[in-house]
Amino acid sequence: MRATLAIASREVGSLLRLPVGWVVIALFTFLSAVIFVNGTLIPGQPATMRYFFASASWMLIPVAPAISMRLISEELRSGSIEPLRTAPVSDSAVVWGKYLGAVGFLGLMLAPTLALVVVLVAVGDPKPDPGPIITGYLGLGLVGMLYLAVGLLASTLTSSQTLAFLGTLMFLILMMVLSGVVATAGSLPEWLSKALVGVGVQARVRDLAKGVIDTGNVVFFLAGSAWFVLLASAALSTRRWR
Amino acid sequence: MILVREISKSYGKVRAVRGVSLELATGQVAGLLGPNGAGKTTTIRMITGVLPPDTGSVSIDGLDMVTQSAKARRLIGYLPESAPLYPEMTPLGYLDYRGKLYGLSRKQRQRAALVALDRCRVGAMARRRIGALSKGYRQRVGLASAMLHDPAVLILDEPTNGLDPSQIRETRGLMRELAQDRTMLICSHILPEIERTCDRVIVMAGGRVRADGAPGELTCGPGAPARYTMELRTNPSADASYAAARLAPVAGVGSIRPDDHQPGDAHAGWARLIVEGEPGAGDLREALSGAAGDAGLFVRELTTRRRSLEEVFVNLVDEAQLPSSQEGDS
Repeated sequence: MRATLAIASREVGSLLRLPVGWVVIALFTFLSAVIFVNGTLIPGQPATMRYFFASASWMLIPVAPAISMRLISEELRSGSIEPLRTAPVSDSAVVWGKYLGAVGFLGLMLAPTLALVVVLVAVGDPKPDPGPIITGYLGLGLVGMLYLAVGLLASTLTSSQTLAFLGTLMFLILMMVLSGVVATAGSLPEWLSKALVGVGVQARVRDLAKGVIDTGNVVFFLAGSAWFVLLASAALSTRRWR
Repeated sequence: MILVREISKSYGKVRAVRGVSLELATGQVAGLLGPNGAGKTTTIRMITGVLPPDTGSVSIDGLDMVTQSAKARRLIGYLPESAPLYPEMTPLGYLDYRGKLYGLSRKQRQRAALVALDRCRVGAMARRRIGALSKGYRQRVGLASAMLHDPAVLILDEPTNGLDPSQIRETRGLMRELAQDRTMLICSHILPEIERTCDRVIVMAGGRVRADGAPGELTCGPGAPARYTMELRTNPSADASYAAARLAPVAGVGSIRPDDHQPGDAHAGWARLIVEGEPGAGDLREALSGAAGDAGLFVRELTTRRRSLEEVFVNLVDEAQLPSSQEGDS
């Protein structure tokens, strides 16, 4: 556990020492503010962050792969995976450490958007209901965790950060298209449509943004994230045998 | 301390390492020599636990590298080729991170980092960004990281790769210093480095160990062919070929020929011969002087020349290339 936390804190520290970390934070914060001003901060509109949460979950589709692309790929490319593997640390600890670091960075990236909540509380009349805001952030965090886990797996499969980024992006877009467009087109068998809708993310985020905590949604995100992290761990271990 | 039994490793159809066995006692400093593609790095990766062997086993101080990997890895300090580090970190931050991976407490980490940085003479750069350091300093940071947890075994893969001559000299000095109190395996294709640092040389080629012994044993040991220079006086009416013909029947003599540079008093019957011994023939000096005496030749000089490690290495590699190319899977 100690080694996992050491890897996680190094990962966050490295992302904050690199331009890519600050560019991602700045871009996400800027776009969040633009969305907030144009979609939420409108006179006569109810004081709710629902629009922001829905848009931010879309923004995570390119942003999460940008965070996750270097996690393992960079270690493979530079060769720094070798000293890491000669340390008394398991592959599973390496992968979980990398993942926790990326999730920690996601938290840092979302933190500045709390200023938007402060603005809404200051100017909103009536004041916004805190429940949906809390569950909305929970939903955003869970979506981010799932996307980062997918990105971590992609990063384990290649030493190219570009490939890891594109692979994750394509996978997330594909899942979105399958669950949002293909599944509802009516041309598929009912069981397949239901299965594809079931793996959809956006509907679950909408629920959370409304303040509805459905245990099924939370379990879906946590189990999905854990599944991809375990796959990444297995993928890293099999690299030894290739 | 290090026990390697019959390890093999293939990458697809390429057999990188084939049945390598070696044993390193505590305190021994061994050099792993070989041309590029000999299987040195793959062997080292299997010894350090980076790669599992397809067959065979590796144990460090009795701990199996596959089944007791974490405990075994604690005993090893490893400097990979080109010392891959995190360029955005400082040497101090990097060593602190490595210390955490080895489970050292904060106090232990601080003390170990300062000692390692000082010993590797990189203390002045401790708070600079690694990416801004020269290759020589980065190599030293890698070395400091390898010795941070005071491992009993230090394994260095091409430790002077890419360094300038003065950096190479400094790194060699540091290696000699480190070798005083631990077992070391140094992998290199630079022969003088191994010859000056190691008390044992293991030569690999074509994925196999081709020779294993002290540098002296390899260059003039019982199995090594030797070259002799003889100066002797023949019948004044004869020449060097006369003496060569008298000595050629001596058992163990491979070839014998007059030297290109004959002595100044050749007109008085003195001749200089070069005698090549056969591999495994042992020391021929006694037999040669005896045969010369029997033939009525007066010997005034008989010296044997040690072959350089480079000559031994080139011979072994040349020998290895033929069978491996015939097998077609190297």
